[in-house]
Amino acid sequence: MADSSPAPRRSAQWSSPDQTRFSDFLSDDRNSELNHKEALAKARAEHDRVRDEAVRVIRLHEHQLELQRLREQELHVLAAQRKEEERLLREKKLRDEEQRLRDLEAQSIPKLPPKPPRPPLQEAAAPQPIVNGAGPVPKPATAVEHPGIASTAVPFAPLPTPSAPQVNGHASKVTETAPGLTPTAPSPFSKSTSAVSNPFTQLTPGPAVNGSTTAAPAQEVKPAIPSAPIQPLVAQGDRYAEIHKNLKQLRAYLLEQTKSNMALKTRMGDMRREIRKSLGQLTGGKGANKQQLERIKGLLSEALSGQVPSALVDPSDYTVDKREPVEGAVHNAPQLPSLFLYLLNALAKGIINQFINECGAAPRNADPVGVIAAQMFSMKDFHWRGKSLIDILMAKFRIVCPVVFGYRGSEKTEQGRARLGWKKEGGAWITEQQHIDRMTGLGVGYASLALRDFSRSPNTNPWPPSRYWTTMASIVNTPPAEISNTQCVVLKSMIQLYEEKFIHLYGSAAIVALRRALVEFPGKAPNNTPGVGGLQVVAQMYKRDLGLDLN
Amino acid sequence: MADLASRITKPEGAEAETAPAQETTGTVEDAQTDGAGQILGGSGLQDVNYDVEVSLNEIQRDQQNPLGSAHTFQELGLPNEVLNGLMAMSFQKPSKVQEKALPLMLADPPMNMIAQSQSGTGKTAAFVTTILSRIDFTKPEQPQALVLAPSRELARQIQGVVQTIGQFCGNLVVEAAIPGNIARDSRVKASVVTGTPGTVMDLIRRRQFDVSQLKVLVIDEADNMLDLQGLGEQCARVKNMLPPTIQILLFSATFPDVVLRYATNFAPQANQIKLKVQELTVRGISQMFMDCPSEVEKYSILCSLYGLMNIGSSIIFVKTRESASEIQKRMEADGHKVTALHGAFEGSSRDALLDEFRQGRSKVLITTNVLARGIDVSSVSMVINYDVPMKGPGEREADPETYLHRIGRTGRFGRVGVSITFIYDKKSYEALQYIAAKYDIDLIRLVPDDWDNTEKKVQRVIKSSRAQAGFNPSART
Repeated sequence: MADSSPAPRRSAQWSSPDQTRFSDFLSDDRNSELNHKEALAKARAEHDRVRDEAVRVIRLHEHQLELQRLREQELHVLAAQRKEEERLLREKKLRDEEQRLRDLEAQSIPKLPPKPPRPPLQEAAAPQPIVNGAGPVPKPATAVEHPGIASTAVPFAPLPTPSAPQVNGHASKVTETAPGLTPTAPSPFSKSTSAVSNPFTQLTPGPAVNGSTTAAPAQEVKPAIPSAPIQPLVAQGDRYAEIHKNLKQLRAYLLEQTKSNMALKTRMGDMRREIRKSLGQLTGGKGANKQQLERIKGLLSEALSGQVPSALVDPSDYTVDKREPVEGAVHNAPQLPSLFLYLLNALAKGIINQFINECGAAPRNADPVGVIAAQMFSMKDFHWRGKSLIDILMAKFRIVCPVVFGYRGSEKTEQGRARLGWKKEGGAWITEQQHIDRMTGLGVGYASLALRDFSRSPNTNPWPPSRYWTTMASIVNTPPAEISNTQCVVLKSMIQLYEEKFIHLYGSAAIVALRRALVEFPGKAPNNTPGVGGLQVVAQMYKRDLGLDLN
Repeated sequence: MADLASRITKPEGAEAETAPAQETTGTVEDAQTDGAGQILGGSGLQDVNYDVEVSLNEIQRDQQNPLGSAHTFQELGLPNEVLNGLMAMSFQKPSKVQEKALPLMLADPPMNMIAQSQSGTGKTAAFVTTILSRIDFTKPEQPQALVLAPSRELARQIQGVVQTIGQFCGNLVVEAAIPGNIARDSRVKASVVTGTPGTVMDLIRRRQFDVSQLKVLVIDEADNMLDLQGLGEQCARVKNMLPPTIQILLFSATFPDVVLRYATNFAPQANQIKLKVQELTVRGISQMFMDCPSEVEKYSILCSLYGLMNIGSSIIFVKTRESASEIQKRMEADGHKVTALHGAFEGSSRDALLDEFRQGRSKVLITTNVLARGIDVSSVSMVINYDVPMKGPGEREADPETYLHRIGRTGRFGRVGVSITFIYDKKSYEALQYIAAKYDIDLIRLVPDDWDNTEKKVQRVIKSSRAQAGFNPSART
C-alpha cells in the first residue's frame, strides 16, 4: 500500500568524513560538480557493497530453505507410510465398530426421561418458542450429525466412508439417548475423541506427535469410558444447544428479577453496555487493552460479590460436565449469583457478535477479542468448582457456527443450511455474502480463541489448542460428497493469520495438518466452489510468502 | 495539494445531485433481464435480485455473440494469477455489477464503457480485474494502465486494491501519481498508475510519464470530478495526451445530464451499464437520529452510543477542528483509540492517519468532511453525524448529498451499517427533516434518557434493516 519507493536522496551520504574531506566540506568549491560526482561514486560503491552482501545472505538463506524442505519432505514420506498402515488398521476397526453399532441398534436402549428444569427458571421459561436467532432450527433428529463424525475426530485418517444410508438413523438415535450425560453412550464416539485429545494435549512438536496419534487410537478400541471428561464432538454439541436454551431462560429470569429489584434494574443494563463497549474498543498491540480488561474484570467481580443483589442459580445448567466441589477452588458453592452468569453470557454474546460484525470484514481484529475471551474464561476467580465456565461461550459458537463442532450439511437444502448455521432473518435466509462474512469472522475468531499459548500463564487454557486440532480434523475428514462451501470458508479463515501460532504449537504435525487442509481436502472436494479455491490459494500464498511448500 | 484537499472539503456541484439517474438512455437489452440468482438450486431459497440495465453500442449490438453475464469468476476466462488474487480476497462470486460489467470490459477488441456504480458495489475490483488481464507483465516498468481518481486517498486506496488482486502476478509494479510521491527527476516506472488528474497531467507534460503504451484508462467517480472545479477538465486534457486507441472505462455514482454529456464525449461509442433503482443503496443502513437536549450534552451521549450495539470501527463527522479535538480527548479518556483527521493535516501525514484507522490500530475516526466520499474501510459499522451536514453561505442550508455520501461509508458490500445523526435545536432538526424528506428516509428517533429502552430500539432497528439488506444492490449475492 505504501508508496513503492522513497524519493531519491538529493545529497549523498558520507559514511565517515576524514580530515581532508572535512576541510573540503568547508571550502568554497564544496558544491563543485567534481565533488558531487565523487560523492555519488562513493554512494554507488557503498550501495553495491550492501547489495552484494544482501545477495549473498539471500543465497545462503535459500540454501537453508532448500535443506529444510528436503528434510520436511522426508518426514512427509515417513508420515505417509505410517498413515497408510494406520488406514488399513483403521478401516478394519471401523468395520468392526459399525458391526457393533448395528448390534447395539438391534437391542433397544431405554431412553432417559428429560431432565426436569431448575425451579427458579420455570416460570420464566415459557414464552420462548424460538430457539435461537437462527429461527426454528430443527433440534434433535435433523441437527444430528452424519455417521462420518464418529471417525472425524481421528486426525487425518483417510476416512473409509461408512456410506450405508441407514447408519444415519443409527447415529441420530445414539445421540438422542446420550445428551452428553450418559456415560453408557455407545462407544464409537467417546473412543474416537479420546484418541484425539490424548496425543494432542501434550504439545510436543515434532514427528513424535504423529507417531503417537497413530498408536493411541489403535489401542483404545474398547468401549471403555475414557477417564478424561472430554466428550465427543457431536454429543457435546447437543449439550451446548441445551446450554444455549438455558441461557435464554436465564436472561428472561434476570429481566423478571429487575421488576422487583431496583438495584439490579439500575445497574444491569449499564454493566451489559459497558462490556459491549469494551469489546468494541479492543485493538491490537501489546498492553493496548488493559483498560478494557480491567473494566470487564471489575464488572464480573462486582456481580460475583453481590454488591448488586441477584438471585442465586445453579451453574451446572451452563456447563457440559457435572461438577463436584474441588479443593482449593474459589467458588465451590452449589449456586452463584445469577447476575454473574448473566454477565458472562453478555460477554460471550459480545465476543461472538464482535467476531460476526467486525472480523468478517477485518479478520485481523479478531486477535485481541480472542485474547480477552481466553483470558477472562481462564481466571480462577471466575471459575466454578475449579473449572472454567467457557461452555457458555461455546454454546453460542455451537449455534452460530456448528461447523467448528463437526456439523455438516448441504447448502442446497433447508435442513442442510440450518445445520450449517446459515442464519434466517425475517423468515428468509440471509444472502450468501452475508453468510460467508459471518463464517469468516467466526472462523478466525475461533482460531484467535483456541490457539492461545498458556505455557507461561499460571492459569489453565480454557479452550486449549487440541480443540482447534479436533475442529480441523472434523472438517478435513468430511467425506468428499458432503463437503460444503461453508466448511471451506470456516477452515480457511481459521487457518489464515494463525498459521504461525499453529505451527509454533504443533511443529511438523501442523505442517502435515496444513497440507491436509489446504491441498488434500480441497483436492478431494467434488465441486470447485469459491471456498475450495480459497483454500488452495492459501497454500500458494504460503509458498510465496513463507517458503512453505505444502505440495 | 492543499488546494486539492480544500476542494474536496467543499463538494459544490449541487446541480449534480438533482437527477438520481432515473432517466434511461433508451435501450434495455432484453436478453439481460435478470435471470441470475436462482442458480443456487433448491427451490424456495431466496436470493437477491435487482436489475442492472445494459445498453450496448452499435458494434456490440451487431455482433451475434450473445453477450452473457458471468456467474462465476472462472467463467470469465481470467488469467489464473488474477483469479487467485480474487480468491485470496475471499470474493465468492461476481457481484451483480461485476456480472454484467466484466464480460463487457474484458471483451476483445476492447470497448469503452460508461457505468453507473457507487463505491461499495465491487466496482473497483471490476476495473482492477480488467486492468490486470490486459497488462503485459514482461514490461513491469512500462506504464500500461492509468486510473484517475478525485482524491489522493482514493488513488492510494485503488493502488492498494491493484496490489492485492495482483498479488500473484509476478511482475506487477503499481505507482501512485499523487502530489509528493514522484520526484521531479525520476520517471514513472510502473505498469499500473493510479493518480489524481492534476499530478498525472504534470507528469506527462514533464515527460516523466511515458504514455505511449497505455491500454486502459479508468476514470473513477466522474461525477465527483466534475463537481470539483477543474478536475473534469484536467481529465479531458490527460485523455488528449493518450494514445487514441486506449480503452476508456468511466464510472460515476450518478448520471445527471452534465455527467452524461461529459461521459459520452469522453468515452465515445461506449457500452452503458446502470443500476436501475439507485436510491436502494442506502437500504441496509439503519438510519437513526439522536434527539439531544442541548449541544453540551452531545459529548456524553456520544460515548454512551458505543454500548448500544457491537461496533467494529466507526466514523464521526464533525463541523470544526476544535470539536474534533475535544471529542477525541473525551473518547480517549473513555478507552477508545481515536484518530482525528481534518484539513490541518496534509499529504503524507493524512495518509498515515488514515492507515492507522484502516489497519485497525485506532477504531474511531473523527473527521471533518474530507472523507465523505469514496473511502472504503470495510469494517466501519457506524457513522455518526455529530453535526448535521450543512452547506451554502453561513452554513444555512442542509446538505443532503453530503449526508448520503457520509452514511455510505458504512454498510459496505451488503454489510449492515448504522448511522446516527445528532440534533439539538430547531435548526439542526429542520435541516435533518429536509434531508429525510428529500430521500424519503424513515428516520428513527432515539432519546438519551432511558438507555435500556434506547438499546432495545436500536437492536430492533438493526435487525429489521438487516432483513432489508438483502435488497441492497451493493450486496454480493
